[in-house]
Amino acid sequence: MRFVLTTHYGQDVNLFRHNGQRFWYALLAVSVVVAPLFLSTFYVGELVLVFIWAIAGIGLMLLVGYTGLVSLGHAAFLALGAYCHAVLLGYGVPFAVSAPVAVAFTALVGALVGIPALRMTGVYLAIATLAFERIVAYGIEHWEPVTGGLRGMSVPQPDFFGVSLADSYVLYYVSLGVLAAGLFAAANLLRSPTGRAFVAVRDSEISAESMGVHLARTKTTAFAVSAAFTGLAGVLLAHRIGYLAPDAFTVQTSIQLLLLVVVGGLGSLHGVVFGAIFVGYLPQVIALARDVLPSAVGQIPGLELGIFGLILALFLVFEPLGLYGRWLKIRSWLSLFPLYRKATHKRQKAYLRTERVQ
Amino acid sequence: MEVFQLLLSGLSQGCVYGLIALGFVMIYKATEMLNFAQGDMMMLGAFVAFTFVNLAGLPFFVGFLITLVVMVGFGMGLERTVIRPMIGEPPFAVLMLTIGLGFILRAVAGAIWGSGTRTLDVPFAGRVLEVGGVVLGYENLVVIGGTALLCIGLWAFFRYSRIGIAMQAASQNQLAAYYCGVPVKRVTSLVWGISAAISAAAGVLVAPVMLIDPMMGFLGIKAFAAAIVGGFGSLPGAIVGGLLIGVVEQFAGLYLPAGLGEVSAFVILLVMLMARPQGIFASMQQKKV
Amino acid sequence: MDSDQAALFEARNLSLSFGGVRAVRDVSFEIRRGEVFSIIGPNGAGKTTVFNLINRIYDADEGTMRFNGTEMSRVPGHRVAELGITRTFQNTELFDRATVLDNLLIGRHVHRRTNIVAEFLFLPTVRRQEIAFRSYAERIIDLLELQGSRDQMVGALPYGTRKIVEIARALCAEPELLLLDEPSSGLNPEETEDLSFWIEDISADLGVTIAMVEHDMNLVTAVSNRVMAMADGAAITTGTPAEVQDHPEVLRAYLGD
Repeated sequence: MRFVLTTHYGQDVNLFRHNGQRFWYALLAVSVVVAPLFLSTFYVGELVLVFIWAIAGIGLMLLVGYTGLVSLGHAAFLALGAYCHAVLLGYGVPFAVSAPVAVAFTALVGALVGIPALRMTGVYLAIATLAFERIVAYGIEHWEPVTGGLRGMSVPQPDFFGVSLADSYVLYYVSLGVLAAGLFAAANLLRSPTGRAFVAVRDSEISAESMGVHLARTKTTAFAVSAAFTGLAGVLLAHRIGYLAPDAFTVQTSIQLLLLVVVGGLGSLHGVVFGAIFVGYLPQVIALARDVLPSAVGQIPGLELGIFGLILALFLVFEPLGLYGRWLKIRSWLSLFPLYRKATHKRQKAYLRTERVQ
Repeated sequence: MEVFQLLLSGLSQGCVYGLIALGFVMIYKATEMLNFAQGDMMMLGAFVAFTFVNLAGLPFFVGFLITLVVMVGFGMGLERTVIRPMIGEPPFAVLMLTIGLGFILRAVAGAIWGSGTRTLDVPFAGRVLEVGGVVLGYENLVVIGGTALLCIGLWAFFRYSRIGIAMQAASQNQLAAYYCGVPVKRVTSLVWGISAAISAAAGVLVAPVMLIDPMMGFLGIKAFAAAIVGGFGSLPGAIVGGLLIGVVEQFAGLYLPAGLGEVSAFVILLVMLMARPQGIFASMQQKKV
Repeated sequence: MDSDQAALFEARNLSLSFGGVRAVRDVSFEIRRGEVFSIIGPNGAGKTTVFNLINRIYDADEGTMRFNGTEMSRVPGHRVAELGITRTFQNTELFDRATVLDNLLIGRHVHRRTNIVAEFLFLPTVRRQEIAFRSYAERIIDLLELQGSRDQMVGALPYGTRKIVEIARALCAEPELLLLDEPSSGLNPEETEDLSFWIEDISADLGVTIAMVEHDMNLVTAVSNRVMAMADGAAITTGTPAEVQDHPEVLRAYLGD
């Protein structure tokens, strides 16, 4: 536990509260920058995937974790970003134009999806976003001349300021830069009025409105921002996988994104990074486990998704604050030892909250 | 004549959506929880029936009844072990939990019964009824008839049985019902049980029409659309929404470009949400402060 | 009571029915600048509904409302705070998973002058605005003595503190008119006494006009300039606390015939 004497309001506004934090984040930054020097191409590629998951995760975290709007269809935004970018590149549009256009397009679609969300509570939204995802998937599968349909399409690999994005090392630094910028932008938004309006909408729409928060505009903004981040992740994903096919963007992808935000810890940007590492490496751990386990167990169809589901359920029941929440508890246990009490992190339960008339 | 056949198969498909939607809405009304594993409960029910009828060789109707009993037990057990500890958590958490449960159920079914498709032995398989030149499959007629019987049974249950009335009371105001001596916990448990059994019945009814496999629960997504189209929170609405989506899907599949039938349910849903978000049978109201 | 007698808020012939139940019938009243105006009445008299009408949660079937001379019967709900009216809720409607400070900062939302692009980059304008927001919020924290719970999650606070946080949040918007919906419900006698001092402070130090719905007659008598009594959706009488308390129809409404 560290107490900081605040002497100016500006200190509350800053992203880092004290020099200790600055030191650890700087150390982290240096280590991810030099990491590729010591890693093989394969691991660099895997890290790129983690970064991409994290960028998409920022988007979903802003929506689910901060605004309290559920989306079961975020794979659609990932797909829209990836396809829009790849198609534009195919027409010879330079990267510097096609990437922003793809992100803007995804944000626009996100805002449109947000419109019905204005009149909907959780139930409706969850199902509506699921329906939206199915419709986008249908469009991609059947608009063959543009998307290549079920066969898929290869992603042109343009030069990015003279270097090729097909190179994992280049993509590593580009993704890292985008992720860092994304986290910075999201953290900024969250310490500004818009971010607080998100939280207000999440916790009580009625009083948010009475405090002057424009519900419709806030929700649409949340959807647009969320879709933009996810679309940006899609742009990078297109380069990472090099070949787009509909089976890369399914309901399963949407669920993996939700797993990311839940396991990482709802309502925290740290959680996005923890969750991305988790979701990025889980399939490999499962693949390793398959080799070790007896084949009768290892070959169960749907095992991977089953394990996803199990982990999701375990987190929801036992650690709703996610990995980041767990980390906070460990940290305060270490600093308070031997005075730590379990009640320090007692869970808040909201009984009798209802969306219906009593 | 083709129109009648399409209508019939649409209605029978719609009945299945409607039944799953019914189970979904029942749980929502009673507990304000969304059970996204509803489709997977249907899948599980179909496999349980397959086990008793095909593997154990019991007569179809005996196997069917045992399946219902087993699924009531399963639903209640699930509520007791997994859902009840989640009371008081945000609705989103419960929703995610049931999505997770769906994946687990699929993996478990895959582990027990394998990933291949199975066919349930039914006494009416492949038989047809010809009425004035229209060929009607028994399978479809059985789905429609079965759904009708089930709905009548449920209606009578809610209308006349003591526990059914208690359920209605609890779904309208849990706290007030509790004060009036309704055992709310037991009622909630039973709601999950009945909901699981309804889904299982849907699974058994649909089994002759579409094969059984661990992924058949994805059909549930369309059932959720049906629930909303019907007007969330309305039991008759769930059935009507299901029928509407089932029929439209059949006709869209034939008359519209390839694959549009698949997504027509979702298009209907989105159009409905834009035009009349309260659904066909409106029942939801605004929160009170 | 030498407060400015001009009406800050004026309601004329408000009526609202919910499916045949006439929740508010033909209610007219005015709230004068600088006063504490209380609405009393038995449960179900339509007091909170009147607040919900002012707050534009409900659309009145009939009648008009003017605030500061502006017709506001059809203003959208989120604009009400901007006009200068904020409120608290009967059972508190706070942002539970945010700190007390963040709740108060949301109260400053109506004074936001930055756009989302500037906020993404956290430009100096945003920083200056944040610092200004905080200095105002700290003023309110000092006024209502919330220093101790400033950085705590609202959901974890005791009920009495939550009620005060809600008042603080409403004050952060710098309203001209503050609506308090049963501020003392759920408070113990000491907390209620504190509340009466705070209401006086808010009225005197910040110059905020206050309208409140309240059951506790001691509190009403202690702080109100004028009181309106309601029963069955209609206004019975308006006057000083003593006049209203002794009014025969008010007694009948409370005690029955």
